[in-house]
Amino acid sequence: MDLISSLSLGELALSFSRVPLFPVFDLSYFIVSIIYLKYEPGSVELSRRHPVASWLCAMLHCFGSYILADLLLGEPIIDYFSNSSSILLASGVWYLIFFCPLDLFYKCVCFLPVKLIFVAMKEVVRVRKIAVGIHHAHHYHHGWFIMIATGWVKGSGVALLSNLEQLLRGVWKPETNEILHMSFPTKASLYGAILFTLQQTRWLPVSKASLIFVFTMFMVSCKVFLTATHSHSSPFDVLEGYICPVLFGATWGGDHHHDNHGAPHGMGLGTQHSGLPAKAKEELSEGFRKKKTKKAD
Amino acid sequence: MEYPWDDLTLAFSRTSMFPFFDIAHYLVSVMALKQRPGAVAAAWSNPLSSWLSAMLHCFGGGILSCILLAEPPLKFLTNHTNILLASSIWYIVFFCPRDLVSQGYSYQPIQLLAAGMKEVTRTWKIVGGVAHANGYYRNGWIVMIAVGWARGAGGAIITACEQLLKGDWKPEGDEWLKMSFPCKVTLLGSIMFTFQHTRHLAISKHDLMFLYTIFLVTIKVTMMMTKDAAVTLTPFEDTLTRMLFGRQQQQFSLSEKKAEVKPSSNGSASSASKRGTEPPSSAKRHAKKED
Repeated sequence: MDLISSLSLGELALSFSRVPLFPVFDLSYFIVSIIYLKYEPGSVELSRRHPVASWLCAMLHCFGSYILADLLLGEPIIDYFSNSSSILLASGVWYLIFFCPLDLFYKCVCFLPVKLIFVAMKEVVRVRKIAVGIHHAHHYHHGWFIMIATGWVKGSGVALLSNLEQLLRGVWKPETNEILHMSFPTKASLYGAILFTLQQTRWLPVSKASLIFVFTMFMVSCKVFLTATHSHSSPFDVLEGYICPVLFGATWGGDHHHDNHGAPHGMGLGTQHSGLPAKAKEELSEGFRKKKTKKAD
Repeated sequence: MEYPWDDLTLAFSRTSMFPFFDIAHYLVSVMALKQRPGAVAAAWSNPLSSWLSAMLHCFGGGILSCILLAEPPLKFLTNHTNILLASSIWYIVFFCPRDLVSQGYSYQPIQLLAAGMKEVTRTWKIVGGVAHANGYYRNGWIVMIAVGWARGAGGAIITACEQLLKGDWKPEGDEWLKMSFPCKVTLLGSIMFTFQHTRHLAISKHDLMFLYTIFLVTIKVTMMMTKDAAVTLTPFEDTLTRMLFGRQQQQFSLSEKKAEVKPSSNGSASSASKRGTEPPSSAKRHAKKED
């Protein structure tokens, strides 16, 4: 890390960490979030029947992280809604994605190279949100658990609110919980939050700018790779496969093996859900790609 | 001509809600609770839980707006007089000898009077919510709309959550998502009062309060007299829906018709036609609509 900061890379990282997010990066964050909302089965019908509920869902997808973090820190949970320009931007994106004539906007945005760019920009926003969240929670000086939790919540966004979000769409499945089946971005946000907390409490001897830079590079490359290959395995799988049996014993490892490693690269969905009844299966084949991409979120 | 009008609206906007209008509000809310299936038996077997439900029905909007603004949700308990009033109304509604109150309430004019007075409190709540949110966020008009809306119509959401937690009701399909009529009207009112507050609407506050209250009461009373849930806003809503979400709406309703083979649903997919075709669980919805 010293090497990086001594080179001109340090300046690059510093200027990178000061790029303003508002119009462009936030826009791509909203676009990708609302695309994932549209992938959810039944969301298009929902937007036709109940536009208000669909709009609320879209707002949760875009601003869920702020809402949950505000809730945890005891601040008004509609705090972020006083940023009228962001809300209007997100509402505009929601309207275009769901109601554009001929679905033109959605088709353009879902074109893979374009989408990869947006996904990459979304990860930039995510890392910045983790950093800001930890900085925000820093006035609990010794409460580094609070800092980790705030950073995690800020990074993982709507995923942790998925039950509430499903309830808004009229789906009530308490058994599908993000904490039970953590996806890659959630795990990555957790690890990122730990790293940033260590940096904030001076346990990690690097500057914040370079940590933001390195972690953003990692997230962008992982996420772009995962989106491009339509896979939903996570790069942490290998590491976890070694560490978890040691920490939590052989049973955990076996279970884990059955769940994730038995399902490599996309082929997995069929085997993973083989226990489900036939009704669920036909629904699966129809929403196959959709679900896969959602998992990659 | 000018002066009496101003005097009238000003005097009206200074009316205190406390004894009578609040009583009407609590009465209507508690009766809505009582009309729920199984509520009476629950009150006899577990009075405390029934009392809690009644309080949620009466003060739900305030609780929701407190949650949104990160104030203590139990703040409503500090208002002893109102709590006592609501509790005594809960008591006489559920435990009055020979069910006198319920029988009196089933008399139509009394129902109309109580419902009309309840709508008056709704205006006051919206105004209070908008002003309260303005204290936190000077220019956050979205926040002001949301808090006004929550204060006015949030009781339905709170009671639905309560039922969900109790396990009485599960959000099946889109019953939960259908905005009830008070919900829509409150949203409209909240938007109007917010724009009045930010000086985008050139009308004085007491005039707006007066007109909006008259509007609410008229609609509510008409709806109760004709027993028709979808009289008023439907044409307006239809136009707006067709303007904003236009072509696809029709396409969707067509495909829906193909899929479900429902002869009665015509092309204009609106809440009216849906309400016409879906009679079941009307008791529940009625209770919800009473809010």
